[in-house]
Amino acid sequence: MRLQSLLKPGGLLQPGPLPPASQSRRRDTLLTIGACLFAALGLWLLENHASGYVVHLSCVGAIFATLAVSYNLINGVTGQFSLEPNAFVACGAYVTALLTLSPAEKEASFILEPLIWPLSAFSIPLLPALVIAGLLTAFMAFLMGFPVFRVRGDYLAIVTLGFGEVIRVVANNAQSVTNGPLGLKGIPHLTNLWWSWGLLAVCLFFIVRLVHSSYGRALMAIREDETAAEAMGINAFWHKMLAFTLSAFFEGVAGGLLAHLITTISPTLFTFFLTFNLLIIIVVGGLGSTTGAVLAAFLFTYGGEWLRVMEEPMRILGWDIPGIPGMRMVMFSLILVVMMIFMRRGLLGSHDFSWRWLAALLGRRARP
Amino acid sequence: MNKPLLRAEGLTARFGGLTAVDAVELSLPVGQLAGLIGPNGAGKTTCFNLFAGRIRPSEGRLRFAGQDIVGLRPSRINQLGMARTFQNIRLFGELSVLDNVLVGFHGGLKSNFLSAILRLPGYVAEERRMQDRAAEIIELCGLTRLRDEPAGSLAYGSQRLLEIARALATNPKLLLLDEPAAGMNPQETTGLAALVRRLRDELDVTVLLIEHDMRFVMKLCEHLTVLDHGRVIARGAPHEVQQDPAVIQAYLGAGEPEGVAP
Repeated sequence: MRLQSLLKPGGLLQPGPLPPASQSRRRDTLLTIGACLFAALGLWLLENHASGYVVHLSCVGAIFATLAVSYNLINGVTGQFSLEPNAFVACGAYVTALLTLSPAEKEASFILEPLIWPLSAFSIPLLPALVIAGLLTAFMAFLMGFPVFRVRGDYLAIVTLGFGEVIRVVANNAQSVTNGPLGLKGIPHLTNLWWSWGLLAVCLFFIVRLVHSSYGRALMAIREDETAAEAMGINAFWHKMLAFTLSAFFEGVAGGLLAHLITTISPTLFTFFLTFNLLIIIVVGGLGSTTGAVLAAFLFTYGGEWLRVMEEPMRILGWDIPGIPGMRMVMFSLILVVMMIFMRRGLLGSHDFSWRWLAALLGRRARP
Repeated sequence: MNKPLLRAEGLTARFGGLTAVDAVELSLPVGQLAGLIGPNGAGKTTCFNLFAGRIRPSEGRLRFAGQDIVGLRPSRINQLGMARTFQNIRLFGELSVLDNVLVGFHGGLKSNFLSAILRLPGYVAEERRMQDRAAEIIELCGLTRLRDEPAGSLAYGSQRLLEIARALATNPKLLLLDEPAAGMNPQETTGLAALVRRLRDELDVTVLLIEHDMRFVMKLCEHLTVLDHGRVIARGAPHEVQQDPAVIQAYLGAGEPEGVAP
């Protein structure tokens, strides 16, 4: 009887023949490749025919989507309410910028205190700089994880918030490395559509695959009930650490791309408001939903622009309303309030996009 | 006689001035269907928490499968082969029945997270095997019809069964069941008794269970340990324990106080 082999020592996971790839998995892979090619075509069209403004917005959108997806891994999927992504973005941004700025540019920028030696003498291309920044940020998260994951819940939020502030203060005061409040200027404008969307694609590949694996189930189990997850043989500490460092890696790289998109960075860019915006994005998208995080990130980026209409002079029912600056933020807050009342679990709840879901939806539509 | 699978010596747990478990001695032979009973607040669940590593004992020794387990993480103790269910059901509510069971396999996973992300052949084979075994366990526990439902939406009795299914997925040598029949109707209780017996007979799992349903306990268990105020007041075969004056006094509080025999 097969049941008897079930619980014998070593009986569970012995090596065996590979299962044949199922038909639907092959279909899904093909569809995903097709969608990627289609997206690439779209990017090419954008690059060649859209205005610089639209291209810039698309880059910002993709970078924020990357940030949101990685932040969602620790906050939404693993359920560890943490408030430190501004620290990781800052770390990635500063590291990449310091690595790619030319020695001449660095000498011109650091007026108050000169940059310390090894950094002042060389510069490297963007790709290795991004990889180094990602790894350093992940390492920072790893070290941070030891004290931080000794606490849970509200306490975790406060401890991580503290770490986020520490990084900003360090950026403000370590003048010989970060140039203090003056920040770094003249960072080469290297981020284009391909870099930002490429990073989003890589990030999605890693995080979606992780979430849809045994590791993802373990992370969600920790979110649902940490005590039970521990009792089922899942070492909660190391799994939180895995989610934390992986999300830090992508946040660091995204920070690097952000620096090379806006070309000037200073500590004021990485305050708690950055974290706060990302938090809004993942809550609006639906905590735990990767698709929701991407959608909300783009809505957030573009929505702020669409709402500019609100600030222009208008004529409603014969009334002339002069343009009120800041009106769009009022509108934005109102939309958020209404959304949280009527869609408490965000746009998508904890649901995610899958080809099977789409096929089922189309199949239902097609039936008479 | 072979060595006991689980052995507690002088096991004590104090919370401030309260001694919840007081110098408990317990020896559980391989393959036994044992019960741990006693009035409310006797320290039964605390004993389980001590065994499973959720609480660290104030004093005493604990050996499981020939290894000292005091101070190990609950996940480590589970990986050594001790699985448990919870008195106040602790399922992963948003996850489906199937995923709840699959989570149980994760502790035994050999592939690291990178091979899981890259879907390397080793991981794909493991995942396939987990899916197959999970389907078998779900079938065994009679939950096949519910496998895609979120665990939180299940009826009480099914949730209790799912807790057992999830625990089975961790490949246990010893299964600790904390009030598995609580909230079940008589029919479900009969089914549960048959399942527990099958687990022991067919899968060689040693079982220790806490239960208040005395008919269930008397019918199913081969050996009982009775706790009261954190102390073992009786142990032996069910019919012996049933007649023990100390036990009767603990449950009914009647008669003259007698010498509490260990």
